Amino acid sequence: MEKKKQEVILSIKDVSKSFPGVKALDQVSIDVLRGTVHGVVGENGAGKSTLMKILSGVFQKESGTVIFDGETIKNTSPIQSMKSGLSIIYQELNLVNTMSVGENIYLGRFREMDGMRGTHTKAKELLESIGCTIDTYKLVSELSVSEKQMVEITKALSFDSKLIIMDEPSSSLTADEMKELVNIIHHLKEQGISIIYISHKLDEIFDFCDIVTVMRDGHVIDTKPTSAFTRSDMIAKMVGRTIENEYPERPHCVGETLLEVRSLNTNKLHDISFELKKGEILGLVGLVGAGRTEIVRAIFGADKVKGQQLFIDGKLVKINKPIDAKNAGMALVPEDRKLQGLVLPFSVEANISMASFEKMTKFGFLKRSTEKEIAERQVKALGVKTPSIKTKVKSLSGGNQQKCIVGRWLENNPRILILDEPTRGIDVGAKYEIYVLMKQIAESGGSVILISSELPEVLNMSNRVLTINEGRITGEFNPQAVTPDQIMEKALGLGKEELKS
Amino acid sequence: MSEQLNGKKIIQIIFSEYLVLVGIAMLVLVTAILEPKFLSPQNLNNVMRQFGPLIMVALGMTFVIIGGFIDLSVAGMLSLIAVVTISLIEPLGQVPALLIGLCLGAFCGYLNSVLVVISGAMTQAEALFITYGMSVVYGGLALIFSGGSTKQMSGIKADTSLFKEIGSGNIGILSVSFVMFLGILVLLYVFQNKTFMGRAICLTGGNKTAAKLAGIPINRSIAFIYTISGFMTALGAIVLFSRVTTASPVIGKGYETNAILAVVVGGTTLVGGKGSVLRTVLGTLLVILMSNCLNLLGVSVYMQYIMKGAILILAIWLDNRKQL
Repeated sequence: MEKKKQEVILSIKDVSKSFPGVKALDQVSIDVLRGTVHGVVGENGAGKSTLMKILSGVFQKESGTVIFDGETIKNTSPIQSMKSGLSIIYQELNLVNTMSVGENIYLGRFREMDGMRGTHTKAKELLESIGCTIDTYKLVSELSVSEKQMVEITKALSFDSKLIIMDEPSSSLTADEMKELVNIIHHLKEQGISIIYISHKLDEIFDFCDIVTVMRDGHVIDTKPTSAFTRSDMIAKMVGRTIENEYPERPHCVGETLLEVRSLNTNKLHDISFELKKGEILGLVGLVGAGRTEIVRAIFGADKVKGQQLFIDGKLVKINKPIDAKNAGMALVPEDRKLQGLVLPFSVEANISMASFEKMTKFGFLKRSTEKEIAERQVKALGVKTPSIKTKVKSLSGGNQQKCIVGRWLENNPRILILDEPTRGIDVGAKYEIYVLMKQIAESGGSVILISSELPEVLNMSNRVLTINEGRITGEFNPQAVTPDQIMEKALGLGKEELKS
Repeated sequence: MSEQLNGKKIIQIIFSEYLVLVGIAMLVLVTAILEPKFLSPQNLNNVMRQFGPLIMVALGMTFVIIGGFIDLSVAGMLSLIAVVTISLIEPLGQVPALLIGLCLGAFCGYLNSVLVVISGAMTQAEALFITYGMSVVYGGLALIFSGGSTKQMSGIKADTSLFKEIGSGNIGILSVSFVMFLGILVLLYVFQNKTFMGRAICLTGGNKTAAKLAGIPINRSIAFIYTISGFMTALGAIVLFSRVTTASPVIGKGYETNAILAVVVGGTTLVGGKGSVLRTVLGTLLVILMSNCLNLLGVSVYMQYIMKGAILILAIWLDNRKQL
């Protein structure tokens, strides 16, 4: 009953929306109060993005009402909703890189701003109002990600927004940049602007959200003040069952050497040599672009190399193409699942069976029944949520898409499974399942190479960690015996001299 | 109740997926009313014979486009194969000439694929320029080989019964070339839907990077699509010169655009990955019927060029709208 005290800026009531085969939203009701930060959490496919797209006018709702600032919103379009004071900032920012900051903020409204001079003056005022000192004449392409985000926020303010939706704004921010974003959010709150904050990172939710709505499978599970939630309570509501730990216990079954990489060199990599043991999970840590992905791509035969020697079980193997790697018992789950992993317009079935052609081909002809078996086996084994194996893979949520790629490779019983950012953009429940899978593979005598930007993940799952910086291996650690700082120091390539000074 | 709904749904599907059927129906209806000659047996037979060469080239082009590439070389290649094959009938006899013509087509297509793979072309635009270049090369070879003159089948002293049969023979009410088409259509349909390479080609067109990383032999897919296209172009060349009984060194001009038009109008997307040889049959039918109908109605050939261009753009626009 506390809600009555504060004015409701946005009232969503019984909104439903379905896509072919999926009920994306089922009778969803949420009230957002003026001047609050309202967190929305949920697994991938819970319906958060669909709901936000309905609010901003990208999708049209099927039933229910949306009242924004006292007015009932019917079929709206993105530009209308912006003008009525509801802005959305997407994960992939929508700015024109080749134009200046000021021009981007008042894009398409230069005349109303009395020409370019007026545009830049007003843009500057607005930027300063949120405590930001970016030069309005600077090109957007020269800005950092966090600066771009501020420009987006300022652009939203230029429409006199009363409600700003932020869809995973922190996914590409550093810790310092995150602090600035938090400052701005507090600032906006003081001005009476409401914010809907969508994030997978629960730390942030607990840090600055006033009220949290948990969504699952198109339903609102719970809405209450953040202080009334505990972390485990929230996770349990998100996934629909209790998860005691975010990570399973790491496997302990490291055996003898399975894979040995000797003096791998490419344009970006210098003299990479390491060993991978049977039953081991090996973590590769480094900044984006440090060469982590390049190492596994080179091993897998996806990129040209200047020279490398690979030994599996002590025997020299030649790998020139991914298919050679596959035949040698390797599997790669690439970092960008949409661009490198999936064939999006194809069915779940075709995507899963892609790497198992030997099994389902006889005299060059496909055996459809075998293909169906393969797809059904993996869908069942991994718990892929899909209406049918004939469903197009692009209509699945991120976590389920990732499981399709993992399933594709598990069908081959790989001995070496390489996972490049396997949990990026995936919810807690699906993450846990992928961790358990890694563990199972290690325990059944296989090995896993894990690349991840989330340090806790690597530290909790790996048996051994290699740090990579500028194409070189800079350190080797036992993750149980080191602190995150020690690892980051090596990953950032800081020498002893710099540390002393 | 439910039957009504089904009827509605079928109409919806026809309008969104098979708009080409609606186009064909309208074309037939309007022309039949305005020009009764359209439905005469001679004209229908004429349509069936005009259908032969283009459908062969278009069926081959379908695989290239499903695989995510494009083949502009068919124009020059068609001319080259036509003049070479017709010239070889006299010295070698008709069966060896036919076989050499088909092999030459497959070889030219394979050569295209080698160039595409070696140059590292991964996009349709790159393939477009490479195959355009090859079209000029093949066209040049055709001119050199023929010395710039048109070869007449009537002037050949050796036996040409086989080609006469392909050009003007009938099996029942169907022309020989139409029966050839039916047989090849079945083969290609089975190839696309039931074989490993057919699937590999679709996956390559759907996402080359993902296909490669999953161990699909994409270079072999590329070799297949261009070789099929070359082979089908050779068939098209043979059917064409058999019908018109002459082969000029520029006989293939316009076949690349008409084939692409037929594929795209049929509903195979230029983006790659999705499409079917059956759709191309409908697309080809529309293209052939359109020029036949417009000719009967007395619309100038120049005007027809403009309309073809407009229809191609319209088809791409509709396809892109569907993907939104």
